[in-house]
Amino acid sequence: MSLTRRFVAAGLPLAALAPSVAFAKPAPDFTAVDVDGKTRSLSEFRGKTVVLEWVNEGCPYVKKHYSGNMQGLQQAARADGVVWLTIASSAPGKQGYFADGAAAKTWMDSRGAKPTTLLLDPENKVATAYKAKTTPHMFVIDKAGQVVYEGAIDDIPTAKVEDLKTAKNLVSAALADVKAGRKVATPFVTPYGCAVKYKDA
Amino acid sequence: MFLKKAVLALQALVAASLLAGAALAGPVVNSGHIESELVSQEAGIAPGGTVYVALRQKIQEHWHTYWRNPGDAGEATKITWTLPAGWSAGDMVWPTPQKARLGPLLDYAYEGEVLIPVPITAAANAQVGTTVSLTADVFYLVCEQVCVPEEAKLTLMLPVVAGTPSADPQWGKVVGDVLAKAPKPAGLKAVFKLEGEALKLAITGGPLKGADLAGAYFFPYSPKVLEHSAEQAIERGPEGLTLTVKAGYDFIGGGTVPAEVAGVLSTKAGAWEVTATAGEPPASAKGLGAPPAETAPATGVTGGLVGALLFAFVGGLILNLMPCVFPVLSMKAASLAGHAHDAGKVRVQGLAFLVGVVATFLALAGLLLAVRAGGAAVGWGFQLQSPVVIAGLALLMLLVALNMSGVFEIGTSVQGVGTGASSKGGVTGAFFTGALAVVVAAPCTAPFMAGALGYALTQPTLVALSVFLALALGFAAPFVLVAFIPGVLKRLPRPGAWMDVLKKGLAFPMYGAALWLVWVFAQQSGPLSLAHLLAAGVLAAFGAWLYGLAQASRAAGKPALISILVALLSLGLAITVATFGALAAQPPTAAATSAEAPSGPGLASEVWSPEKVAELQAAGQPVLVDFTAAWCVTCQVNEKIALSGAKVAEAFKAQNAVYLKADWTNRDPAIAKALADFGRVGVPLYVIYPKGGGQPVILPQLLTEGMVIEAIEKAGV
Repeated sequence: MSLTRRFVAAGLPLAALAPSVAFAKPAPDFTAVDVDGKTRSLSEFRGKTVVLEWVNEGCPYVKKHYSGNMQGLQQAARADGVVWLTIASSAPGKQGYFADGAAAKTWMDSRGAKPTTLLLDPENKVATAYKAKTTPHMFVIDKAGQVVYEGAIDDIPTAKVEDLKTAKNLVSAALADVKAGRKVATPFVTPYGCAVKYKDA
Repeated sequence: MFLKKAVLALQALVAASLLAGAALAGPVVNSGHIESELVSQEAGIAPGGTVYVALRQKIQEHWHTYWRNPGDAGEATKITWTLPAGWSAGDMVWPTPQKARLGPLLDYAYEGEVLIPVPITAAANAQVGTTVSLTADVFYLVCEQVCVPEEAKLTLMLPVVAGTPSADPQWGKVVGDVLAKAPKPAGLKAVFKLEGEALKLAITGGPLKGADLAGAYFFPYSPKVLEHSAEQAIERGPEGLTLTVKAGYDFIGGGTVPAEVAGVLSTKAGAWEVTATAGEPPASAKGLGAPPAETAPATGVTGGLVGALLFAFVGGLILNLMPCVFPVLSMKAASLAGHAHDAGKVRVQGLAFLVGVVATFLALAGLLLAVRAGGAAVGWGFQLQSPVVIAGLALLMLLVALNMSGVFEIGTSVQGVGTGASSKGGVTGAFFTGALAVVVAAPCTAPFMAGALGYALTQPTLVALSVFLALALGFAAPFVLVAFIPGVLKRLPRPGAWMDVLKKGLAFPMYGAALWLVWVFAQQSGPLSLAHLLAAGVLAAFGAWLYGLAQASRAAGKPALISILVALLSLGLAITVATFGALAAQPPTAAATSAEAPSGPGLASEVWSPEKVAELQAAGQPVLVDFTAAWCVTCQVNEKIALSGAKVAEAFKAQNAVYLKADWTNRDPAIAKALADFGRVGVPLYVIYPKGGGQPVILPQLLTEGMVIEAIEKAGV
């Protein structure tokens, strides 16, 4: 017992000497089943820019952005060759849970959502790997597989549709930076929205 | 234009006349899950003056709204004011939020009813006599499992008055209380330092010194400085505390390290606004380990009042088996045997005993509550902390013993001697047996009882007294039951000479009890006072003997006035001498007590203090604290049986453990406070502090050697 403690204690200063580890943020790989029942993984999109979008169709903040804003972003991004993965992480019985791919598709069609695909994550595996907190919660992953933007979709954290007009969209800004080969100017803004409906601990 | 003016004037007139100087809130708005309104602390506002107007929200059960930093998700409540020209609204005053856990996420939220005051300042040229309308557009997110954004448009009519406005009759005090409790800067010094992925937050200053820091928590204003959902580890120090939290985006996610980390430190003693700057945590913010275990779960009392009543009753029952009650057992036994074959008398006596127990318990409890309400740090058993009471009890026990030895009789001065106690004497006797049992024996706590008492003393008086009542009923139950179950006593032989022998034999445990009380007295008062008490004992015995002689002469038809007078005189003298002795008490100093050499291979103890515990814990040594008192027989038995053997001493040596004694024989606020920290109000209490500084472990009230050795070995790992 005391021996292990000593080893741990000896290891600590080493970790402190390597600050770069904390700042480089490789996107964790994952696999999940999509709306068509196909198993997809992040690694299959290596070499492409990927956007992750956490969704809960019943959340007022998601509804705000699906008034047209989110669909527009999806179309513009995909036209630029970006892969857009919408992820539904609500646990069974919770708001935003899709019983199967068909249920998710029905919702997507009703909204005119156009992501590359929607992934079903009822076990919260992907959400846990990314520590997804809110819906929406956005991630932009560059071609090298690094997270270059994480957080809110825009800079006005409300559920009011009228605020979309004046908000600065942080995802499109990050995508523009990536496309131009620049460093992303704003790599993090605290995400806002409903809590991701994790299964009860 | 004219119409608008007319309406405004009318509004003002209606408001002023109907309310006679009170602020008039608009209708309460129910937005679905929340009822909202504006309420004012003052009934009016002076030109250029400032009053607090609060947003009051009644939130549907299980739903919550959000603090200024909502935590991992959610959105803070927002107010947009529409005020007359020249008027202004200040910052919202946010009460301390609660932690709302959702799976792996943590939000900072409000549940139930929340008032958020906002300072409103009137224009300097506001006209006295008019009434202004304040409008607030309030937006809030309310969540349970799902979230719903809701809003409300609220209004308040506020009269403009000359001079200082009076408090609003309905809301003045409520808003005042919210403002008083709201976190404010209190001159606390705070520094932060990043160590690996951990952010150390050291906070020191006035109100934190000696405060109960269990459950202390830092609510950050910025959502980016720490991981909301991660545990905040608490280490106490002489001047404050150090919280170790998981650093957030600004520190380890690639963000910009802030110049300040601001937020609210919430503790049981209060909540304060804290602004930390980068720096080295001071030594005064650490070194005393984690706070003691939360009191409620440690005592095992769950289920509120019903649980406490049940525990109290069972505790009272078990109390009959504790060594503490031994001194009075013989009295109970002798009294039982005396009337075993007169069922009616036994029942009356059983009830009298019950009444004696209940009355004494409630009287002691009432006194205890009253003294505590007065602010004194006393606990259960406080009566035995007074040398005067101990001396009185010692003399009383001596007289009871002499009575049982047949030296004199009670209540039979004229009727013959030796016919046994009269029925009248029997009832009063049973009552006082009950009273005496409680006074002498109940101060020790028994299993279950400790938790129930701890609960009782935090409750309103009526609830506390009902817990004590349950305890009394449990304590009296066995004797009363024996009296009422006919078969039990029938088994005893018919009355006869054997009873007199039994009674005289049972006198000796009573002599023992008297000696024990004298021993307690000696520890409380020192050798000089002891001499007083011993002399008083001889005088009392002499008086009792003379009184007995007088009874005998009277029974034989001879006058005995002189004997009786002398007897009473010596008794009076005994009481006087004893009282003088007790009042001249000079308790041995702590140093003298600790110098007491351990006898044989036993465990050497050191004197307890909170600082000593912290010091030993910091040095990585396991600690056993023995909260004890000379008047607690259970404590003495435990110390003899479980804490003085060679094996225990070896186990302590092997673990480099230290045995600390907290002696509560005399009143000691520090010990009373330490007991309270563990939810206790009496002794014995045995606490083991593990070597690594983890949560203290509480041992049972009845110890065995094996139990102590096992616990100390666990603590040393």
